Amino acid sequence: MRFLPLYLFLAFALFYPLLSLLRLGVGEGVVRVLQNPYYLGRYLFSLEYGLLSAGLSLALALPLALLFRHRFPGREVLLALTLLPFVLPTPVVALALLALAGPRGLLPLDLYGTLFLLLWAAVFYNLGLALRVLLPTLLALEGPLQAARTLGATPFRAFLRVGLPLLLPALGSAGSLIFIYAFSAFGVPLLLGGGRYATLEVEVYTLLAHRLALGEAAGLMLLQLLTLALVAALYLRLRAHPLPPAQGPRPHGRPWALALFLSLGLLLFYAPLLALFLSLRPEAFLSAWRSEDFTPLPQALLNSFRFTALALLLALPLGLLYAQAARRSLGVDLLGLFPLMVSPVALGLGYLVAYPGLRGSLFLLLSAYALLAYPLFARALLPSLKALPESLLQAARTLGATPLRAFLRVELPLLLPALSSGLALALSALLGEFGASLVLWRPEWTTLTLAIYERLGRPGRAPFEEALALAALLALLSGLLFYLLDRGKSRVS
Amino acid sequence: MKRFLSVLVLLALALAQEVTLLTHESFSLDKALIAQFERQTGLKLRVLKAGDAGEVLNRAILTKSAPIADVLYGLDNTFLSRALEADILLPYRSPEIKNLKATLLLDPTFRALPVDYGWVSLNYHKAYFQDRPLPKTPSDLTRPEYARLLVVQNPATSSPGLAFLMATVGRFGEDGYLDFWAALRDGGVRVAKGWSEAYYTHFSLYKGDRPLVVSYTTSPAAEVYYSEGRYREPPTGNLFPELAFFQVEFAGILKGTKNLEGARKLIDWLLSRPVQENLPTEMWMYPARRDARLPEVFRFAPEPLGSVRLDPGRMAEGRERWIEEWTKVVLQGQSPEAVRRARR
Repeated sequence: MRFLPLYLFLAFALFYPLLSLLRLGVGEGVVRVLQNPYYLGRYLFSLEYGLLSAGLSLALALPLALLFRHRFPGREVLLALTLLPFVLPTPVVALALLALAGPRGLLPLDLYGTLFLLLWAAVFYNLGLALRVLLPTLLALEGPLQAARTLGATPFRAFLRVGLPLLLPALGSAGSLIFIYAFSAFGVPLLLGGGRYATLEVEVYTLLAHRLALGEAAGLMLLQLLTLALVAALYLRLRAHPLPPAQGPRPHGRPWALALFLSLGLLLFYAPLLALFLSLRPEAFLSAWRSEDFTPLPQALLNSFRFTALALLLALPLGLLYAQAARRSLGVDLLGLFPLMVSPVALGLGYLVAYPGLRGSLFLLLSAYALLAYPLFARALLPSLKALPESLLQAARTLGATPLRAFLRVELPLLLPALSSGLALALSALLGEFGASLVLWRPEWTTLTLAIYERLGRPGRAPFEEALALAALLALLSGLLFYLLDRGKSRVS
Repeated sequence: MKRFLSVLVLLALALAQEVTLLTHESFSLDKALIAQFERQTGLKLRVLKAGDAGEVLNRAILTKSAPIADVLYGLDNTFLSRALEADILLPYRSPEIKNLKATLLLDPTFRALPVDYGWVSLNYHKAYFQDRPLPKTPSDLTRPEYARLLVVQNPATSSPGLAFLMATVGRFGEDGYLDFWAALRDGGVRVAKGWSEAYYTHFSLYKGDRPLVVSYTTSPAAEVYYSEGRYREPPTGNLFPELAFFQVEFAGILKGTKNLEGARKLIDWLLSRPVQENLPTEMWMYPARRDARLPEVFRFAPEPLGSVRLDPGRMAEGRERWIEEWTKVVLQGQSPEAVRRARR
């Protein structure tokens, strides 16, 4: 019964809206979607984008992870850099790519509306994630590989018979995670796809905002949910694999050469971020600040902070409750993955359908925010919570502490590092939220991400530069919060 | 308690003092006029711009039970039926109705009142065609010498894009319009998301690479007006009226408004002569009032004879299917025959 508030919230904020949506879509909507080759094409493109993104990210991450097995100067900084895009809001990444290779970019080469730019964005986002999954596995493989060599296997044979079977699950789980992210991507294809390359998620948004075709949108949602559920099931099956404890990075013959090579490579790859800051013009901040045509910067900033803070008030207790519940039951653990699979756009749409009386109320927006943030918070917390011996609490209770006091004095201090990592992830997710905000938006609620989108909707140098300025500000904010609270400790699970 | 109540009353008064206009991103009126409205009525006017005309309407429909504004302005005749079916507007027989052109009163229930009208039309860049022949009829556009010259808007995300699509339906009929678009597609027509992207990014007048663009018949006049004396003659012109599409923009009071009185005043003001005479050079549409004088620069924007007008019922019935079929042919590259077969 302790967990009742969690279940009540999930019923209100997740299951009922989704059910209402599905009820709408299962009927005529799904039939029309399945009969229409156009939607099938969108579906196939989403699949293609997911698969290509996963394949490319892994193909780049594997050799990188092999290099990162070594010790060299600046290794930790470079590793932390690869995770930074993961917390950057999608409009920022999209703008960063445009600042480098868009119609008004630094390079004399316009890649806007090409698949290449979209794939770059996907790898940009997911390279750090893939590294985080592959690197510990590779480090853990050293032992078994050496054993195989000692027993007389050639290096190739040792890798084929010992390394590969142990590595495949890691590749599979990183791949399926990346697939999930790319398949249901919204901000990047909306801003960079040029109308031609739209994922299901973008198509759902267009159907809703421009054509008000609720039935078809719900039908597409159903298709997307089914696909994601399949991949998530695959991901969960791949996860459990006992490995020997990972070894530390090993020395390298030429540490400086390796450091230089990796820095240059990563610098080139993350050049869009650099381009974003290089194309900044200070005047753009000023004109964004007192803009008359668009939401002025102070208002957008205030909204972002306000909604983030309010949503945290909901998300933090929920995340704590959920982590407590998931510690004991695998079923609850799986339940927690669900909000991550459901797309923010679908959620927003579900709210509009399920709660017509609440349309345009701030409470709905905050519910969506909390729903999207609490699993991130909880998943960062879970490993530490699981590692906490129950006997510690029992000892405290035996010594006469109340449950609350035991939690505050014993558990909380031990959990603090994980808590602050989780907070960092939740905060950056909230600051950068795009899909649900766009669907549930009221003009006076325009956040930083929406203020960027608003300006990008109007071509011309001035709005574009204001958008760049806002994006740089958002990137700095997310990066700073992440650095302060996390310092690269976070584990993506 | 008494103090609390009086605070509440003051708060309610403060809220009632505001009137909110939900409109599209191209909305613009003289600031002095707005200040005058606020002075005369004691109301503060708040303008919410929410994207393209279609998006604005859908936003109003989705927030129907808790309206985000008091008055909606910018809904056009291609979407009129959707607004009326969704039942988001209150009827209002404004005293100004008697001054409006009767042909524009397309809603007999007086929920949507016409504010302005105009034509979506093809514009060409004169410099590019100085020593090249202009296309003479719409079907010329499909000839090889006019390949890769045209930029249009996606009708799924843009109201001029939708208007132009409807013009091709009106001109070539239910079967022929798809063949026309397939030919444009093969000729390399470019599709932009909205009007401003097409005009300011792809049109050759603004350093794009397309000398033909879907815009308005008044755009050439607007170019002269904004050039501050640089142009005596428009740098652009209108192509064949057979593909110009007649568009009317409406305003209406949103059902559930908390300030009905203010909303009515706002509508009356939009239809008043000063605003109507300001409209042409702000939004580049023609005033709906019979007695509104046109600015001098509108001599460069003559009304096109023989433009396309579609029956509202037919637009309501066909709109979604046309957009879908257009997407299949132009964006997905399907053949018109396949799309026509799929209708059955």
